[in-house]
Amino acid sequence: MTTKTITSPSIPVAAPGVFRGSTALGIGIAGIAVWLLGALLNPAAAASAWLISICFWTALSLGMIFFIMLHHMFDAGWSTIVRRICEHWLAVFPWLAVLFVPLLVLSILEPGVVWKWMAVDKLIPGTEIAVGDDLLYQKKSPYLNVPFFLVRLVLYFGAWVAFAHFLRKFSFAQDNDGNPAHTLANRKLSAAGLFVVGFTATFASFDWIMSLEYHWFSTIFGVWFFSSAMRAAFAALAIICLLLVRSGHLEGIFSTKHLHDLASLMFAFTVFWAYISFSQYFLIWNANIPEVTFWYNVREEGFWWPISLFLIFGHFLLPFLFLLFYTNKIRASRMIFISVWILLVQLLDMVYNILPTRKLADGSVHPFTITLWDGAAIVGIGAICVWAFARSLETARLIPIRDPRINESLRHHE
Amino acid sequence: MASSHYGIIAAFDEPGPLMKAAEQVRDAGYRHWDVITPFPVHGMDGAMGLKRSKVPRITFIGGAIGLATGMALAAYMNWIDYPLIVGGKPFFSPIYAFPVAYELTILLAAFGTIGGMFIFNRLPMLYHPVLKHDHIHRASDDRFYLVIEAADPLYEPAKTRALLDKIGGREIADLED
Repeated sequence: MTTKTITSPSIPVAAPGVFRGSTALGIGIAGIAVWLLGALLNPAAAASAWLISICFWTALSLGMIFFIMLHHMFDAGWSTIVRRICEHWLAVFPWLAVLFVPLLVLSILEPGVVWKWMAVDKLIPGTEIAVGDDLLYQKKSPYLNVPFFLVRLVLYFGAWVAFAHFLRKFSFAQDNDGNPAHTLANRKLSAAGLFVVGFTATFASFDWIMSLEYHWFSTIFGVWFFSSAMRAAFAALAIICLLLVRSGHLEGIFSTKHLHDLASLMFAFTVFWAYISFSQYFLIWNANIPEVTFWYNVREEGFWWPISLFLIFGHFLLPFLFLLFYTNKIRASRMIFISVWILLVQLLDMVYNILPTRKLADGSVHPFTITLWDGAAIVGIGAICVWAFARSLETARLIPIRDPRINESLRHHE
Repeated sequence: MASSHYGIIAAFDEPGPLMKAAEQVRDAGYRHWDVITPFPVHGMDGAMGLKRSKVPRITFIGGAIGLATGMALAAYMNWIDYPLIVGGKPFFSPIYAFPVAYELTILLAAFGTIGGMFIFNRLPMLYHPVLKHDHIHRASDDRFYLVIEAADPLYEPAKTRALLDKIGGREIADLED
């Protein structure tokens, strides 16, 4: 069974021209160039723009790696062809690691511009107290200090790059030799990887996003990050697969059954995101302790209040009702719409979590703004990711033709 | 007791031929008919031309009732019947009522699903005319059956029997109600 090769000529070998690598690279470099201009003109705005963007794209990519690992852990059949698309996407991790460096450079040039706790001698906005004299910082300083932050950063990206590399390596090797041992190797890798990536993603969200407001703490924050990662990954996956169907590369391979299952997962994680976000809010609301309630209080000021409400209705209720209906889940155009919607609101959720922590000099909350630098950072990093993905498509097949479960996936039925 | 004619039953040895036969019965335009198999045959819904189940609608109604009940329960008890300030919170807020409402949503949605499944499957059904067929026990073992009911508008004993014969049915027999 495993040594039998499917030799249908309709199965694409590689390199679909849908995702134009060189164009994406050009857009990516242009976006980064515009952002660099922003870094010179307004380092603080550029810093939060880059952080929002890197968190958004890293979350999306982590969602892909989680999905591959879940596929292996459950020994799933239907998702075999979709898994390969994720594996191609995993090529972005080394580039994400490189693209994290600008935040470190900014932090060296102007300490505290990204994470306030990195500049212990600077005053906390709106107060006369330096960060280093702040008792809450002092108590957290064994964790929140620059050397340990850098060590963790290296561990995070080291783990993600390594797991991405080996998951891809074994899967791609199977295309050539059809050896089921590769599947078993990936299963073992996934068993360890779910723990490692689960922990690293959790702590990355603590380090990069939660520590922006180091007075605040929420143990569920990592789960929020995970739910965001999964939602973004499924939305991106649906868009990529539908584009490849439209271009003919996955036509007759990625069926409405696969789309329906992806949509069902999107639905499940829509509810999961709402559950986690609500739980965080509910516990803080119920306990009513000023130590933590302030995080939501600042998000009820000015235009942040309508955004808070929009996240409830736009990030939960609309996708929830939309994805309830079977006909919406199997129509390509409708799934493209809701996937793009989820990705955009996901981005807004990231802005909602990151931007208000950038206090103004008098200590008041930063208003909701969208600047050119935000757009440049989002497009820049995103285009580099698409470029890495497109490059990977040229190196390996579009579906794992010798995976032991490929037949099951091709004949997937509801 | 005079027994009326229920329909015609035909046997098949394999799920593949049954699937093809079902497609032909579907294309012939029959509406009141069914297949009986020892296990779920993937793709049979499409071969039989069945529409999607209506159970999710009952699920949704159950969920909506659950949500409304939970909210109303919390609102009535803490806001109207016995207003009491707990932990400095308002008498009613959808936030504190949400866990209760959420759990009731899940519970009644589940009840709706099970109830809807029973209703649309017409369960419990303690008797069915095919049980009178001599070899029907093999439908839970190694035999596949296709039954066309006399209630079907297209049903004509001779023509229907000929159709079943043409599509590969064997041991064709009449069923009594």
